[in-house]
Amino acid sequence: MRQAGMYSGILSGGGISGRTGPHLLPLARIKKIMKKSSVDVKMISGEAPLVFSKACELFIDELTKRSWNVTIQGKRRTLHKEDVATAIATTDVFDFLIDLVHTNTSDHVDLNEDHVL
Amino acid sequence: MGDEQDKLLPVANVGRIMKRVLPPNAKISKEAKETIQECASEFISFVTGEASDKCQKENRKTVNGDDICWALGSLGFDDYSQAIARYLHKHREFERERASAKIAASNQNNIVHESNG
Repeated sequence: MRQAGMYSGILSGGGISGRTGPHLLPLARIKKIMKKSSVDVKMISGEAPLVFSKACELFIDELTKRSWNVTIQGKRRTLHKEDVATAIATTDVFDFLIDLVHTNTSDHVDLNEDHVL
Repeated sequence: MGDEQDKLLPVANVGRIMKRVLPPNAKISKEAKETIQECASEFISFVTGEASDKCQKENRKTVNGDDICWALGSLGFDDYSQAIARYLHKHREFERERASAKIAASNQNNIVHESNG
């Protein structure tokens, strides 16, 4: 019989937390966000929020790491909103986020031109 | 305020995921956490929209895990798409085994009842 441990391993276990089970993000909330994304979204399969819980982990991981790179380039130890904005501005696949943070990028774009790949 | 929070993942969960990829002495400003919290919701909306469009074109009503996997690839998140494909495969396998274990268990019970009846 399979142990719960094997499954948690796949989820890169954040531990078991009562309400959300072995997931790091609440599935019901994810489902709400999905439904609000468009009037065209009618039905969502049970596994879809689960898939997003993993995808969001990957997304948050990547955005955080890239932001942190900006932080340490500035010889700082506190990750600021501006670092996130810079990471977004310098990553093609995060273009869809530019409008969300763009008010803070204008001061930094010039400074970081040398660091843009 | 309750209404707005419904569109976002809990900031505490987001913060926990961020901490996992940062060194132990790293600090995260509250604003940075909130920014990434907003970005994560935008990510869900963005990918869901793409997946939903595909379902519409194919005259399907339900957005499933495979659609999200496809949408991730379509939008440039190739690494996530591959990771999700593996994750989905393992999840479905796990669910299948759990389902057959349940059936086997209830068959056992039926046999016991029959012999008692």
